[in-house]
Amino acid sequence: MQSDAQSQKKGSLSQLILIISLGILALVGGFWISQQFFNDSNDHNMPQNLEATVLPDARSLVGFNLSDHDGEPFTPQQLKGHWSFLFFGFTNCPDVCPTALKVMQGVWKTLPTKQGETGHPKLFFVSVDPDRDKPATLKQYVQYFHPEFNAVTGHLDELDKLTKQIGILYGYDDKDSDNDLDYTVNHSAQIILVDPRGRMRAVISPPHEPEIISSNFQTIRTFYGDE
Amino acid sequence: MSLINLFTRVIFILALSVSTANAASSITIENAWSPEAPPVAKVLAGYMKINNTSNKDIKITGAKSSLFKSVEIHITEMKNGMMRMIKQDNLKIKANGHTVLKPGGLHMMLIGKLKPVKAGMVIPLTLSFDNGETKSVELKVTTDAQPQMKCGSKCGSKCGSKCGSKCGSK
Repeated sequence: MQSDAQSQKKGSLSQLILIISLGILALVGGFWISQQFFNDSNDHNMPQNLEATVLPDARSLVGFNLSDHDGEPFTPQQLKGHWSFLFFGFTNCPDVCPTALKVMQGVWKTLPTKQGETGHPKLFFVSVDPDRDKPATLKQYVQYFHPEFNAVTGHLDELDKLTKQIGILYGYDDKDSDNDLDYTVNHSAQIILVDPRGRMRAVISPPHEPEIISSNFQTIRTFYGDE
Repeated sequence: MSLINLFTRVIFILALSVSTANAASSITIENAWSPEAPPVAKVLAGYMKINNTSNKDIKITGAKSSLFKSVEIHITEMKNGMMRMIKQDNLKIKANGHTVLKPGGLHMMLIGKLKPVKAGMVIPLTLSFDNGETKSVELKVTTDAQPQMKCGSKCGSKCGSKCGSKCGSK
């Protein structure tokens, strides 16, 4: 009887020890997993020494419906399967936009890849001035800088769906003017890097340098891969 | 009487031309250029360095070009996260100082292109000053990125830490 009670006591003690051990194991394991997770979104596990700001968690770009310079759809689908650079502007822009596109022309000169090859990016110049920037104008405008460059635009509400996800701002000054050249468009001048899964991966703020953008892009590409 | 009158006029004209020569020569312009833009572009930009060698501040109050409907002085500024172009009524060049017009900052906004403008051409520009004088400038149209675009000029207060190491080598 006594030995039964003793063995029962022993049994419940070893059960208790087992539960405590499991608890400790769970704690340590949980801590280890959280550490791993924490490290994943930490600088230690991100490409280093970049001018570009890399997003710890790439942000999917969804639910916008625009058109490219040939009238073809430009939706989240067109951002998949290749890296993309996005720049937002307008063609009646004498200073900021041509300067940025000139920089991107310089970036294209340094690319180690050719059109159609894995890892070769696309550029989309997004006009936030659809009233004045018609597809034909946009095509001539961007392709002056590089025949591979694309331009897209669309209704303001569709543009807003894209710009709001990215954090790009734009607005008009003196839009009520009679003269169609008489208003100007204010816009954010960041260049956005989108990964081959159509997710916003990095933000490159002005002033822009072709060599820096180019080397940063190759670093980011190598780090995350072209999938 | 008429001889004296004529003499006075001659003196007056001489004095006027001398004063014009003095003021005009106190403004010198270097590196006036305009980046070639896509043929569909209706607006272009003009950049330059304007030196004032006189002891007085001089203001540019206007500009015009035979190749454009109008020319305005603008500055590109970052405001509320956006690049904004702000029209300037005038452009002051300080006594014994200079003002630089360059991409991403001050520029002559050339509005309403009247004829095709291509690299290798020059864009004639006439600047008016606050004392009523004018000065002609030729903007060289080029496809080259200008030296101002390189890191050196951008390593001022704006991005000193950002590109410090890269600037050193350039």
